[in-house]
Amino acid sequence: MQRSFGYRFDISLFVVVFILVVFGMAMIYSTSRTDTASLLTGPGARQFIYALLGLILMMAAASTDYRLWGHIAPFLYVLMLALLIAVMVVGESSYGSRRWIDLAIFPLQPSEVAKLLMVIVLAKYLADHHKVKRLSFLLVSLLIVIVPAALVYFQPDLGTLMVFPAIWLGMVTVAGARSRHLLALAGTVAVAIPVVYRFVLHGYMRERIAVFLNPGADPLGAGYHTIQSEISVGSGGLWGKGFASGTQSQLNFLPHQTSDFIFSVVAEELGFVGAFILLALFLILLFRGLRIAVLARDGFGQLVAAGIVTMILSQIIINVGVNLRLLPITGIPLPFISYGGSSLITSFIALGILQSILTRHRRISFSG
Amino acid sequence: MAIGGRRWRSQRRRKESSPAKGLRRRLNLFRAAAFLFVLIFLAQLGRMQISEGKHYQQQAELNRRRAILVPAERGVIYDRNGQLLVRNVPSFTAAIVSADLPNDKQAEVISKLERLLGVSGASVQEKIVEGRSRQPLYAPIPIQKGLDRETALILKEHQAELEGVVLLTESTRLYEEGSTFAQLLGYVGPISPEEYENLKGEGYDLNDKLGKTGLELTFEKELRGRPGVEEIEVDASGRKRETLSFQSPQPGQSLTLTIDGELQRKMTQYLAEGMGASQNAAAIAMDPRTGEVLGMVSLPSYNNNIFATIPDSQKLDSLVNDPRHPLLNHAIAGVYPPGSTFKIVTGTAALQEGVATPRTQITSTGQIVLRSQYDPQVQYVFRDWAALGSLDFYRAVAFSSDVYFYYLAGGYENFQGLGAGRLAQYARDFGFGQRTGIELPSEAEGLVPDPEWKWDNLKEPWLTGDTYHFGIGQGYVLATPLQMVNLVATVANGGSLFQPKLVRSITDSEGNVIKSFDSRLIRQVRVSNSYLAIMREGMRQAVELGTATTAKVPGMKVAGKTGTAESSVLGPDGKPITHGWFVGFAPYDDPQIAVVVFLERGNGAENAAPIAAKIMNYFFHRQDPPNPATKSGG
Repeated sequence: MQRSFGYRFDISLFVVVFILVVFGMAMIYSTSRTDTASLLTGPGARQFIYALLGLILMMAAASTDYRLWGHIAPFLYVLMLALLIAVMVVGESSYGSRRWIDLAIFPLQPSEVAKLLMVIVLAKYLADHHKVKRLSFLLVSLLIVIVPAALVYFQPDLGTLMVFPAIWLGMVTVAGARSRHLLALAGTVAVAIPVVYRFVLHGYMRERIAVFLNPGADPLGAGYHTIQSEISVGSGGLWGKGFASGTQSQLNFLPHQTSDFIFSVVAEELGFVGAFILLALFLILLFRGLRIAVLARDGFGQLVAAGIVTMILSQIIINVGVNLRLLPITGIPLPFISYGGSSLITSFIALGILQSILTRHRRISFSG
Repeated sequence: MAIGGRRWRSQRRRKESSPAKGLRRRLNLFRAAAFLFVLIFLAQLGRMQISEGKHYQQQAELNRRRAILVPAERGVIYDRNGQLLVRNVPSFTAAIVSADLPNDKQAEVISKLERLLGVSGASVQEKIVEGRSRQPLYAPIPIQKGLDRETALILKEHQAELEGVVLLTESTRLYEEGSTFAQLLGYVGPISPEEYENLKGEGYDLNDKLGKTGLELTFEKELRGRPGVEEIEVDASGRKRETLSFQSPQPGQSLTLTIDGELQRKMTQYLAEGMGASQNAAAIAMDPRTGEVLGMVSLPSYNNNIFATIPDSQKLDSLVNDPRHPLLNHAIAGVYPPGSTFKIVTGTAALQEGVATPRTQITSTGQIVLRSQYDPQVQYVFRDWAALGSLDFYRAVAFSSDVYFYYLAGGYENFQGLGAGRLAQYARDFGFGQRTGIELPSEAEGLVPDPEWKWDNLKEPWLTGDTYHFGIGQGYVLATPLQMVNLVATVANGGSLFQPKLVRSITDSEGNVIKSFDSRLIRQVRVSNSYLAIMREGMRQAVELGTATTAKVPGMKVAGKTGTAESSVLGPDGKPITHGWFVGFAPYDDPQIAVVVFLERGNGAENAAPIAAKIMNYFFHRQDPPNPATKSGG
């Protein structure tokens, strides 16, 4: 294996993502197949189209110099805020919140795009000012995150709302923020929890927390999702009930099975073994991403790579945590696996940017 | 690739600057975090899937499996000659499966139903809303039950444009001649919440039907059969995906009654024709040799078919609020003073106890007088219905002398009577004051009074006058028509008190007899047959030349006893109404039928006895009596 090849393009990263996406499409197909026609028109087929589109955009992002995104960061920030405002004005409503903008070809979920845009904007800001050790600077960077987070809060979208601070925390850590500053902030947050719980959380959010603590109180209402996903995962056993043979998912006892609860489908149909393989694939993906962060030629590249890894990691943690009844229910896709064009294409572009950071690194290091 | 990575590290480590070292340390934090979370997830997965997997698998099975009861075809009921009295017919119900009815089509479908079924749209809407809140989306919500075949067909034709509307077919009861047999058969109706609580362990579900009264209730277990169980797989909305297992239902068993359908029909007719102004009337015919009930009528009756579907509330209210209580079987549940028919008890008891012999002569001057034991000035007069002169036992029965039986019951001057205690004992021996145990619900006990009873209930001492009244079936004594027919059957058969029975045998769905019911002797009464024979002769004379000549049947020797009992109820003329009774049997020397006729308003000889004569006539000759029916004063 030659260096010249190794740094040009991370093939193993690509292969892992490829396996994950195929894995996801198979699970989506498993839960939504009603007849042979749905193979061509069902969500599995649409996910295939999104994947192709994502693949193309990934290649485009990989061949674009990632520093370009840094140059247009202010514009991207404005774009992000505009999208988040637009969704509140013209968004399609579902399950009591506005999350989609109907783009005729496909519904755009701005909060998915916003996660990646947030990473770039924050990376640019942190990379341009090497003052992260200063508390005031740290707080300003937090403010950059809080503005879009507030817009997400009003959609409301609890899942994305949790990802934003995770991205910020991951990135300021990489940028070298002082741990005592972070601990002080954590302390403030801890003290603020009761206030936040009482005055900031929406009623539905409080209800979810209550349900998380005691789902049996309303097993057919608010506790239904929690209980059914728990049954789905648990009943999978070691080897699972077999592909397309999960009773919980095939008979629709498990809600939102192609999106928020797809991990439960994996656990039910493919069992502990299948879930283990999926988690292992994610771990490889994340480690390859971190490797790129280390290899990045500049601070901006490091931060973008670390931010993308954080973005993916936090979504996995929240999604799987919810599915395994370790966290209150919140709707967030499992990257590369869950059905949904916005999430999949954004994830692909993020991967493309990672590859771009890797290939630029090589070119510079050889010329330098 | 991993090799490439290591090579890079080994090359770069020397040149690494301190900020780069910091970066690597911080990124190791990420690796540790990712590892940690994956470990937590694997631990949780292991706990849920491996150590608690069995528990969750059971829950998943509970989610998808449903056991559905498949009702068994209910057994039918035949009369003693094999005539079908009730059968099962399909009944159609229009229902809506709300999961198949899109919201935007709802108004259209409702308005079509309004037109086709003649139901109000508001009520349909209400039922849908209520149904959705109570049951899964795929469970049909009944909109209208009991559709006729024609409407059902029209609905079927329009099915394509009636989204979500389904036609359900279920089996319901059709009682061939509703009101003729309603008091016996009862009816089947929807299970009530209380009944469901008690029966849910026995294979009943919430939408089940069961026998509510009559034989349908008593033989519910046999008639019902055993429902089958279909185990199905359902999805989250409750829609059936596939059948997992099927256990066929076991059809109910059928009853063959002791009732003679033809006789029952005629009894109903004769009683209806002869009941006059009576609020109620009852007649029972029994085979005195076995206790088999050949016919049992209580009027007014009701059409039990109205309960086969959800009863029209107006019809139901008028039945429930009818002062004549048509839903009550007065033949077994009505208690009345038996009047002179009770002299059969007093007379046989007196013979058995040696209080009287057939030759005991007593003169009725039309009344006897008792002086108050506290104030001799106060006199109590006990009247006879006529000054009948000197009577022996036979004459006393034949002409129903009250004075004669005052003597036998309570004594007078030097004549020693039975006394209330002994009379009560004999009354109980003949089955008064207790249920006969016939296979019908809500049978009444009646009342046999004695001094102790009076003290306990009225806080008054028992007087000789009370014994007099008791002796002629007045005062406190109360009996059901069934107890009266059982009394006369016992006298007729020589002293065997049988448990009256309505069901001869139980057959399975293929017609094989599973169980036949033998006659059940309650007891041999303590009056010996030679004394009963004297009573039979007295009753024979009553019909031949006494008070019951209106009970004569051409070509047949009938024995009987009339009774005209004063009631405490006042009639329209302000006088107490009288109940008309007749009890009798025939043929005199080989009794094959015992009959009671009870009229809530009437006279024993004038009204009740002629009806009994017609019934016995029909029993022996299978035809109506020649017209005009014999008429004579009583």
